[in-house]
Amino acid sequence: MNHYWPWWAGAIGLALITINYTLTTDRSLGVSAAWDRVLHWRSERQLERLDAQFTDDRALVEALAAATAGQFASSPAAHPPASAVHADAQASGQDAAPGAGDEPASAAPVRPAPLITQAALLLSIFVGGWVAAVTAGRFQLRLDMGDGFRQIVTDNPTTMVSLLFAGGVLVGFGTRLAGGCSSGHGLSGCGRLRPVSILATAVFFGTAVFVSFLLWKVI
Amino acid sequence: MRTRGGVLVANIIAGLALGYTVANIGYGDYAELNRMFTFQDLRMLLAFAGAVMIIVMVFAVLRVRRTPGRIHGGVIPGAVMFGTGWAISGGCPAIPIIQVASGYLPALITIAGVIIGMWLCHWANSRYFHLDRGSCGL
Repeated sequence: MNHYWPWWAGAIGLALITINYTLTTDRSLGVSAAWDRVLHWRSERQLERLDAQFTDDRALVEALAAATAGQFASSPAAHPPASAVHADAQASGQDAAPGAGDEPASAAPVRPAPLITQAALLLSIFVGGWVAAVTAGRFQLRLDMGDGFRQIVTDNPTTMVSLLFAGGVLVGFGTRLAGGCSSGHGLSGCGRLRPVSILATAVFFGTAVFVSFLLWKVI
Repeated sequence: MRTRGGVLVANIIAGLALGYTVANIGYGDYAELNRMFTFQDLRMLLAFAGAVMIIVMVFAVLRVRRTPGRIHGGVIPGAVMFGTGWAISGGCPAIPIIQVASGYLPALITIAGVIIGMWLCHWANSRYFHLDRGSCGL
């Protein structure tokens, strides 16, 4: 008898989180990407600055174009027919400018989420996990990984440290090489039926099943 | 919610909910995780698969846009490494955070490993692989 949520409650919870995040931000939830970006914060900050500068430059060009169009439109026409045609063309261009500006804006969500939001995601996961552990009465500071790890993997502290470190390196390297983890590929990617995410999820789940059987039955 | 502040709030809500939900499903418990991967207990597997089914249906109904994703040379080896590491350490990138939050202090070593693994991948990719690995966070 365990004290964890039934499967359907877990399924609804995970689905609601992913759907809510996707609909509100138009981005995919991805924890390994958040880790990666926070770890490489220097280069990410540089990219964000360049991105902001590019946006400013684009806004300046658009403002200059609008001002020029306004000047032509309001100046007395030395050559009425030609000027009128030009002014009309500029004015219609000016009208079209917000539309043209909207297009990159609608494509903007494809850009990565701001770095600070990724750090906030990781910190919030910690707080959410801590609240869950405390409210369920499971919180207990300990220097082992529990009875399950001791029985299935090792009860030797040195071996435990080595395996946790090696496992962590494989998780970090593997998730970034594959371009996602159980949240990015598994929930968001499979939810969007992306072939790359379905393949990655099948392979990492299949490998985890194989290795877990090895640990349980053989090693 | 698509401004900088809106995305920040959405990430905080998602992080809190994800940490709370994943911890209460039991993904942070190594024994439960091994029972899932060896099919001794299908509860957590059904939670994951059920979530994917719900997401697929809702995204299809709402016509949520497809994000670009290309199958490249790093997908299969990366997924094999991730699956192996997950089965051994009990942690995908979110789970060690939840394990530490639940009091399992050795999971800090898993987090250190994840950090070094990501740095190594970044370095190896820029030096040797040159793969456009994409990103799940877009």
